[in-house]
Amino acid sequence: MNLKNISTSVPKKDHKGKVSGQLAYISDVKVENMVYGVLYRSPIAYGKIKSIQLPDLPEGYEAVGAEHITGPNYVKIIKEDQPIFANEWVNYIGEPILMLVGKDLDILYRLLDEVKMELEEHQAIFTLDEAIKQKSSPGVTMASYEFGESLESISAIEQGACQIIEEEYNTGYQEHVYLEPQGMLGIYKEDEIVVQGSMQCLYYIKNALITALACGDDDVRVVQSPTGGGFGGKEEFPSMMACHVAVAAKAVKKSVMLVFDRSEDMVVTTKRHPAKLKYRTALDKEGNIMSMCVEVFLDGGANVGLSSVVLQRALLNSAGVYKIPHFHAKGYVLKTNTVPNGAFRGFGAPQSFAGIESHIGHLSKRANIDPLDYKRKYLVQQGDPTITKGNFRDPILMEDMIEDLLNASNYKKKKAEFQTFNQQNQRYKKGIGTSLFLHGCGFTGSGERDHIKAKVKLYKSKDNQVSLKISNSDMGQGIFTTLSKIVAKELDLPYEEVLYPYPDTKEVPDSGPTVASRTTMIVGKLLERAAKKLKAQWLTGVEQEVTEDYVHREMIPWDEKTFTGDAYPAYSWGVNFVEVEVDTLTGNVKLEKVYANYEVGKVIDDRVMKGQIDGGLAQGLAYGYLEKMTSKEGRIQQKSITDYGPPTSMDVVTIQSKVFDNPYADGPYGAKGAGELTLIGGAPAVQAAIEDALQTSFQQIPITPEVIIESLWMKEGEEG
Amino acid sequence: MEETIIAYRFDRLEETLSQLNKANCAIVAGGTDVMVMHKSRRGVPPKITKPIIFIDHLLELKQVNQNGNDLHIGACCTYSELLRDPLIPMPLKKAIKTIAAPAIRNRGTLGGNICNASPAGDTLPLLYVYNAKLLLRSVNGDRIVPICEFIQGVRRVQREPNEILTEIILPSVLEEGAHVVFEKVGNRNADAIAKVGFAGYIRTKGAVIEDVRFAFGAVGPTMIRSNEIEKKLLGKTIPVTDMDIAKVVAAFDKIIKPIDDQRSTAIYRKTVALNLLRYFLTNSTHIQHI
Repeated sequence: MNLKNISTSVPKKDHKGKVSGQLAYISDVKVENMVYGVLYRSPIAYGKIKSIQLPDLPEGYEAVGAEHITGPNYVKIIKEDQPIFANEWVNYIGEPILMLVGKDLDILYRLLDEVKMELEEHQAIFTLDEAIKQKSSPGVTMASYEFGESLESISAIEQGACQIIEEEYNTGYQEHVYLEPQGMLGIYKEDEIVVQGSMQCLYYIKNALITALACGDDDVRVVQSPTGGGFGGKEEFPSMMACHVAVAAKAVKKSVMLVFDRSEDMVVTTKRHPAKLKYRTALDKEGNIMSMCVEVFLDGGANVGLSSVVLQRALLNSAGVYKIPHFHAKGYVLKTNTVPNGAFRGFGAPQSFAGIESHIGHLSKRANIDPLDYKRKYLVQQGDPTITKGNFRDPILMEDMIEDLLNASNYKKKKAEFQTFNQQNQRYKKGIGTSLFLHGCGFTGSGERDHIKAKVKLYKSKDNQVSLKISNSDMGQGIFTTLSKIVAKELDLPYEEVLYPYPDTKEVPDSGPTVASRTTMIVGKLLERAAKKLKAQWLTGVEQEVTEDYVHREMIPWDEKTFTGDAYPAYSWGVNFVEVEVDTLTGNVKLEKVYANYEVGKVIDDRVMKGQIDGGLAQGLAYGYLEKMTSKEGRIQQKSITDYGPPTSMDVVTIQSKVFDNPYADGPYGAKGAGELTLIGGAPAVQAAIEDALQTSFQQIPITPEVIIESLWMKEGEEG
Repeated sequence: MEETIIAYRFDRLEETLSQLNKANCAIVAGGTDVMVMHKSRRGVPPKITKPIIFIDHLLELKQVNQNGNDLHIGACCTYSELLRDPLIPMPLKKAIKTIAAPAIRNRGTLGGNICNASPAGDTLPLLYVYNAKLLLRSVNGDRIVPICEFIQGVRRVQREPNEILTEIILPSVLEEGAHVVFEKVGNRNADAIAKVGFAGYIRTKGAVIEDVRFAFGAVGPTMIRSNEIEKKLLGKTIPVTDMDIAKVVAAFDKIIKPIDDQRSTAIYRKTVALNLLRYFLTNSTHIQHI
């Protein structure tokens, strides 16, 4: 298949294996001399381990713990605060303490029940609210940033204000629910340990292994196996499992398989950070915004992990898509003795957009202006500064995208129709809500230049077969397909003939992790350049290799200390309109219509993009009203998919979407990031729609039936 | 480590009953509850300690028959089969459609839903308001038990180890004139366990209420039904007055005692259960009036 237009869909590279069920995921793999590992986990939220008593282990069964780690006992992520095997303090229920390995899982589970441990329990912090009260106590604030206009000048503005509106907004957990639970295999070989599994970031894992095993670059190797969904859940978490299986494989000199079942995965793996957002906004007589102060609190869980970076993105998005005249923001990651929270599609932005869209929506109600009209007054335009004194330098198509949806949804007419419907129907109420959002593409600030330093390689064999040699994972999102297309088009080769094997760190350079909506834009661009280079040097019948390194386009330099400069090289944009019907007897929300317009520079594959839109938006909508996870005294309550309740095909309606072209010079064919963007607008739009239907305000997501019933009930109570 | 599992699969009900009379067995119809209940952790097969006896294929248990105005449903009819059967009343079909997803509906059986006796069993509120009777058979013969006596508590039923539930009888269900409503409240539209279930039944002659029944699911250990409260409405005329509605709601308010759990809260369950009751009393009696 030769490609005229890059956006035209092609069959996905992994289509046949997945559709036929033939593709082997890590839990399908069996290797010689393989044993299973099971983890003994902390039964308490916070305390000191006094002693551990193991049962008599039958022959072939061994226990592996902190004493088997050759290097330091922590999982290398950013800070050294996450033990591989906790051996002194335990900080959350489910924290791994040791691993039992052996041939038979049935015996391992029995042995696990027989491990005895003596613990000295200490007072734990279970909730974000408790952590906020104790945020000055040592160790509670794990990260904090502040930026924007000085509080003095804000306070001067507030003094001249007509009124000051304060709101507090809460967002809940979100669980990734990737189809394939986490799994990792440590293959023991005399001269190396090979770690294979479900993952997004091969070199994160490799670096963690080099530290944990205190070994050389050639002593460990990381290979991605087919990955059934990631959503950020397989960004940093697999590094810990990789350390577990590698340490165990080395200790017992056997290959060790560690696979979670669904309930274990739901209870112990990272989640989206629950957050509290506080807004303080000064308004003039007409209800215009004069200034805004935002405070963001993220529940980091028991260790910091990637939370500081998540907080950065939450803060960078704290003003949404709006130009606020005077703006100040401050944020904290706070420690609680609960399961560590981590990367999740959107990475801090979904919390901020839910909060700011809610707040602006509520301000519009006060001003008696349609929310969309009110939002448009403040919409950023090309050339405007960002809240960090960076610049929106590329064209912004938001107005076109909004106009298009106003027409497509018949917004004005709908509003009037719903009003009539709601007056006539006692039980069901209809509403329409909107959200406006963006997503900064790639790593924050100078991350690509200073930390990632991506390198890509193209290899051409003697028989002229071209392979992509990069460390990025296809986890279902489709980069096998999109990146192969880019290379095929540049080289004028049929797409089917370009190969992109599952990456293996022995074969591929570090092209960076598969995160932050960076892969298509950053890695894709590098591949485009590499392909151009290869084309220029092409020698038929000769083995050839080209590499390409990341080149940073300097804009307004990012300074992490002062939080100033261009936080992102480019932004992708979106508008969502959502119509709902709320059952006032049960509080159940039914999605009726979902419209979505996006601008991602240029689409590399129409169907892959549609997959991102439908999946991302379903996940984002569900974050707003459906998916509910709670923790009770440090224990996650929902241990099954049924209890947690992600949407089924019976819950989501056809998503009517369009993608606008706006090519970006530093992306391949103009492409920017798309994967995370599609999630962000779902929750705020669904909240606005529910509020419109019920003519009330909410200060939290998810707006579950329980929340709705309580609100309706309280309202009745007040009136009565 | 070889493990032996004893499993029986006879061609006829008679042989099955005779085996059951010899040994206590785990009865598997669709298996959709049994397999989940005995599930082990990953990589280890489910542990069912008793011998297994399969009954899902027994033709004697897969018939749907009309007997006068009564409906006899074979206990091993799968939900999918019932959805296709013209004799099955619409409210029951509506309840069945809310169960899990097609794959489970292809395996799960009505008899299984009853014998599993979950507080959230999807068809149970409806079967209670239909006054369902259960035909239990053993080598010693048949006996018929009302569903409300058969189900005794959470996963507790009055079945002797040598008995099989063979038939669900819905008395007078094919009679004209009754208005029946079923509502399931779950956290999503498929693969959901009920947070609240409600079934309402009303039959009037002219404007006079001849019979009225209510059952609530997932708000107590078993379905909640009260003949005493129902009786208060007999002989009243429709539309039911606001005062009578308030009385009925207040009476149920006293006996519905749900719990907080990982799926919902007690206050939600109670509020919604009473909302659905109030709505049924207000609207169904209006519809009848017209």
